[in-house]
Amino acid sequence: MKIEKMSFEESVTKLEEIVKKLEDENISLEESMEKFEMGIKLSSNCLKRLNEAEGKIEELTRSEDGKLVTRELDLEKENK
Amino acid sequence: MEGSKTSKSKIYTVSEINLKIRKNLETNYSDIWLEGEVSNFYFHNRKNMYFDLKDENSKIRVVMFHSNNKNLIFEIKEGLHILINGYVSVYEKRGEYQMIALDVRPIGKGSLILAFEQLKEKLEKKGYFDRVYKKNIPILPNKIGIATSVGGAVIRDIISVLERRFKNFHLIIRDVNVQGITSSDEICNAIDDLRQYGVDVIILARGGGSLEDLWAFNTEKLAEKIFDCPVPLISAVGHETDYTISDFVADKRAATPSVAGELVVLDKTEALENLKETNKKIKNLVKSKIVILKKEFNFLASRRIFIRPETILNKFNQFAGELRIKLIENMKKLIRTRGEILSEYNSLIDEKNILKRIYIYKMAVKNMDIRMVSGIKNYLTLKKSRLKFILENLQEKNPVVILQRGFAIIYKEKEDKNIKSIDNVKINQKVRIMLTDGILNARIFKKIYKKLEIGFKNEN
Repeated sequence: MKIEKMSFEESVTKLEEIVKKLEDENISLEESMEKFEMGIKLSSNCLKRLNEAEGKIEELTRSEDGKLVTRELDLEKENK
Repeated sequence: MEGSKTSKSKIYTVSEINLKIRKNLETNYSDIWLEGEVSNFYFHNRKNMYFDLKDENSKIRVVMFHSNNKNLIFEIKEGLHILINGYVSVYEKRGEYQMIALDVRPIGKGSLILAFEQLKEKLEKKGYFDRVYKKNIPILPNKIGIATSVGGAVIRDIISVLERRFKNFHLIIRDVNVQGITSSDEICNAIDDLRQYGVDVIILARGGGSLEDLWAFNTEKLAEKIFDCPVPLISAVGHETDYTISDFVADKRAATPSVAGELVVLDKTEALENLKETNKKIKNLVKSKIVILKKEFNFLASRRIFIRPETILNKFNQFAGELRIKLIENMKKLIRTRGEILSEYNSLIDEKNILKRIYIYKMAVKNMDIRMVSGIKNYLTLKKSRLKFILENLQEKNPVVILQRGFAIIYKEKEDKNIKSIDNVKINQKVRIMLTDGILNARIFKKIYKKLEIGFKNEN
């Protein structure tokens, strides 16, 4: 699976695996460089995922013809 | 007493008396409360309920019609101690009296608690609470669905927790009544809608309240809806001490709605911090790996083999020399052993012995040769003397020699056969007389028989 397509969770899980691998003293230099590179990629993917969601609050309702629709909800306004 | 009936007495039909008794009972026992234990419970087609209510000594038949039992929230079961409100009536068809139950309440605990306990036990038996069915809550959901009352304080609590933890969250709110008769159905529909719209996690949220207030979250229908929901679901109903059926069936129970906010998104600051830490960690791990390898390299590089490789070579050379000597020695030893074996064979062959034997054979041959030659010589000598004798003898017997001595041979005229007796010829027969110097043709005149005396004859 391409790192760019991984979810935050998948990236974190993979990253944890890499840390475990790197902690193993028997790993070769070549492999550790490879893992290191992958780890850096994964962590930047995690960062991307953390920041990519757009912050919004919507309300889900059914329109008159029974379709699901959403609208932005301003709770402060609703209260008034 | 025979014929004791007076003319004043009224004669009833069976129907009349049953009707009269029924009316009588229904009037006198029109609104009574009856306490007892349920036995012989029978739910006919899940419509009318029939059972006996009994105490230690007695029992009474009870009927609860569908119109009255359809709103019962708990189940009437065998052995349940209950209080019935209703009236006494008669089933005229069979002339049996019975209690018609209009309302039933459990004794000892409230209906809601009993209903809750009964449903909990039932769902537990069906495996609805089993850990194996619990789905993991995503740690960073793209879209968070929530079914709650938009007007309540709960949604504000949740939003403030989410904002504190993760600025850029995406929340989809489905507004529902969290109390009242329709509430449970509304929540069920909200789950369906959120699922259909597509969220990564669903939160059912409601503030605290009495068991009755929270009742919408204790229905079997909602329990089934939650159990069948493929999207991970968090039940966040009431205070920490409140438990609802939805709490048990959901993938995760949040003690309060605020806790749900914490469960549903990770703390971004914390996550970023962790990420930083992890980055540092892997960098350090690789760094220390390199340091260790460098050390190892330096250690190896300082070894004699790399600084003065010839010393190692010398060592090997020496070793090789030793090996060579050993090899030669071994070969010698081997040859020696083989030589011994060969000499054993050699002694068996022994040249002198052979020559001796050859000499013996030679002598034997020579001997035989001599014997053969002398043998042949003897033989030839013998044969020679014999031949001489034969020749001499032959000379003696030669007819020519005999003829020379005055003898003649007589043949018949035409045959080469000599005549040895006078009987062989006839008178007048021509004969030939052979002498040494020629042949005489003659004729026989006369035969005179006279036997000649044979004198001594020397054979040799």
